[in-house]
Amino acid sequence: MNIFRRSMIKHTAAGLCAAVLGTFSGTALLAQDFPDKPINVVVAWPAGGAHDTVARLVGDYLSNELSQPVVISNQPGAAGTTGVRAAANADPDGYTVGVMGLHVIAQTYMNENATPWNAIKPLALIEKSPASLSVRTDSGIEDLAGFIDKAKNEPDFILNSNDGPGGFANISALLTQKAIGTQFATIPYQGYAPAVAAIASGETNATTIPTALMIGLAGGGEVKIIAVAGDERHFRAPDVPTFKESGVDFVFSDFVGFFLPQGVPQDRVEILESALMNVMKDEDFLAATQKAGLIISPGDSEAFGAFLAEQDEKVYPVLDDGGLVTANAK
Amino acid sequence: MLLDVVLQSFDIFFQNPVLFGVAVVAVAVGIVLGALPGVSSTMALAILLPLTFGMEPEVAIMLLLMVLVASVFGGSVSAILLNIPGTPGAIVTQFDGYPMAQQGKAGRALGHALIASTVGGVLGVFALMLIAPLIAKSAMNFRSPEFALLALFGLVLLAYAANGTMLAGLLSGAIGLIFGMVGFDTVTGVARFDFGTAVLQNGIHIIPVTIGIFGITEVLGTLAASRSGPLPKVPPIGKLFPTVADLARVAPTWVRGSVIGTFIGAIPAAGSAIAVAVAYTVEQRLSRGTKYIFGKGEPRGVAAPEAANSALTGGATIPMITLGIPGDPMTAILIGALIIHGLQPGPMMFTENPEIIGAIYGSIMLAVLLTFAVGMVCLRGIVQVMKLPTHVMMVLITLLCMVGAFAIRNSISDLVMMLVLGGMGYVMTVLRIPVAPLVFGLILGPLMEENMRRSLIISRGSWSVFLERPVSLAIIALIILVIGSSLWPRKKRKPDA
Repeated sequence: MNIFRRSMIKHTAAGLCAAVLGTFSGTALLAQDFPDKPINVVVAWPAGGAHDTVARLVGDYLSNELSQPVVISNQPGAAGTTGVRAAANADPDGYTVGVMGLHVIAQTYMNENATPWNAIKPLALIEKSPASLSVRTDSGIEDLAGFIDKAKNEPDFILNSNDGPGGFANISALLTQKAIGTQFATIPYQGYAPAVAAIASGETNATTIPTALMIGLAGGGEVKIIAVAGDERHFRAPDVPTFKESGVDFVFSDFVGFFLPQGVPQDRVEILESALMNVMKDEDFLAATQKAGLIISPGDSEAFGAFLAEQDEKVYPVLDDGGLVTANAK
Repeated sequence: MLLDVVLQSFDIFFQNPVLFGVAVVAVAVGIVLGALPGVSSTMALAILLPLTFGMEPEVAIMLLLMVLVASVFGGSVSAILLNIPGTPGAIVTQFDGYPMAQQGKAGRALGHALIASTVGGVLGVFALMLIAPLIAKSAMNFRSPEFALLALFGLVLLAYAANGTMLAGLLSGAIGLIFGMVGFDTVTGVARFDFGTAVLQNGIHIIPVTIGIFGITEVLGTLAASRSGPLPKVPPIGKLFPTVADLARVAPTWVRGSVIGTFIGAIPAAGSAIAVAVAYTVEQRLSRGTKYIFGKGEPRGVAAPEAANSALTGGATIPMITLGIPGDPMTAILIGALIIHGLQPGPMMFTENPEIIGAIYGSIMLAVLLTFAVGMVCLRGIVQVMKLPTHVMMVLITLLCMVGAFAIRNSISDLVMMLVLGGMGYVMTVLRIPVAPLVFGLILGPLMEENMRRSLIISRGSWSVFLERPVSLAIIALIILVIGSSLWPRKKRKPDA
């Protein structure tokens, strides 16, 4: 029976490595002493969400890489700001790692108590999840051109369910409006699941919830994904064209990245960074994430920092236009 | 065909006795994790999720379902014995469960919880197997206006169910409503009532509130009582199982609780706190005018939420299978587990991976039955907790309250909030203000506010949206009926007064 096969072998191996390292660590260099205790990964969203799933998958492999246990702790609350603040304010010793997504950029401007995105140390970009646009098939909309047509000619027709101001799907909706040059109604829900349920029940007829969450529903035929805002098509929905292919220049992704509090010694940053980059080269990890439908998009500390700045440039103007900026106004 | 699939899924257990052993262990672990305050069913699943990465998908999903179903029952153990809900689904079980335990009926309370859980679980699975598409379809008729009115219905039931102390009950409920407004405005995403602090932006979480207002309040009450003389002894444990007559009286409650649980479970993202709140208030309302008083150790007050939260497991799986979206936070983790194994939950699953559907049905059914068996065996041991001396018990309760309040969001501020509310709960008890309505206000208030405002956004400000939809109109009629029927007997009684 092979139920415990992989995790057993892996954990035994990790345990052995830890024991061996423990024996010899006394003679090792200071930098190699790190880490000598478990790494705490703070997820700002509840268990079971996208951030949590990515963090647990990465954590599983990262503990092999570092020969230390990786503990995931969920600290949800206040639209993701609580967990991010907890990680950003932790001792900068490298033992606390935070998990962040686009919400950190949005909250920078929407909540003066939130940790600003540029007040943390980017560690590594892990995953990207492109925005998408889906409609109910009974809306009569076939493709992006049809959607734009409908939005322009019948301003009241389109009801877009999303995750509420500051959420990724909400910002996607605002950016979509900007890209196609017309407005439509955006209806807020408490997170992705109820927003998807709303389009399933017909309370709304469009949604900007990311592709990965729409695939199951789209399989049933009631909902159609009409465009993906990636550079290329989503590998799990290969028939859906990108916005670019449909003639609209719109590329926008949510992401999951790891970050550190500012002030962590550079040698420790590098150890964690290279461990994460190694995880994202691991074939087993890539196979597991591929199966899980995740688009792994490795970026080191520097690349992640640049990516964040790029996202900030996209997001700030629509928040400003929407009157959502209440802090750190530019 | 359906039966084949289910039998096939049971088959994997018979082919492999080791797997059956693993299932029994998973159920025991689930009961323990559920009973530990602070480890909710959702967390128990999240903790075990990485262990399942390397397993076959059927085995992974089976293990998770075993733990899930068992932890839902486990939550009621700490609610009944310690007055602390182990999981959000158990927040009302203690209303009557703990008084029963204090009257020396701990065994019977647990028995009621276990039997109601089993009945609810079985009915929930049957609903899942036989009429899932139908339930999914009717749940889809439940949109924002219906949600808003359902919450209003719950609040109305609450106000009129509090016999004698209606004004105090309303006051308590209003405090709960105000608590529910703290944190992020669900519609605009703007923080409110946070007094400029980051701590209050988290909102007031139902679990620390319930733990404080029941657990700590109880400890403070006992402390105060101990100053004025020796503490009343908890009577001997007495009979372990409810009598047949008792069960017969409670039976209709099982069915009502199960129906409510299945249906609310099938409404995506509704969650167990809402299901148990509705189930409890309905029972309370139905018993009005009879000699059975809820909140003082009425078995139906235990049976209703337990049947509802167990049936909810089956119900919450319905949107997962029919639509690919989670019915509650626990199914969100199940979906995560399936996706990690490359399986996409949703309508296509019936044709693409029927064996997984079978494994889900079979696992829930087996989990319910195993929980019953393990629960029955362990009941005698579990109730021995009641034999602890009062002072030891109070220390234990305080400790678990603190762990539980912290662990739910890994937040020290939740711990402080829990202690403050414990003090407040004690003052309320001294003033004879019931605390239960506060809990309901906190659950139902945000639900009503969010859905009412969203309904009005969708209808572009027209209130007629609540009248135009048949289900919503029916709930309005029900609300009027409840208010009307409450006014009627009062008028009749007036001449005597």
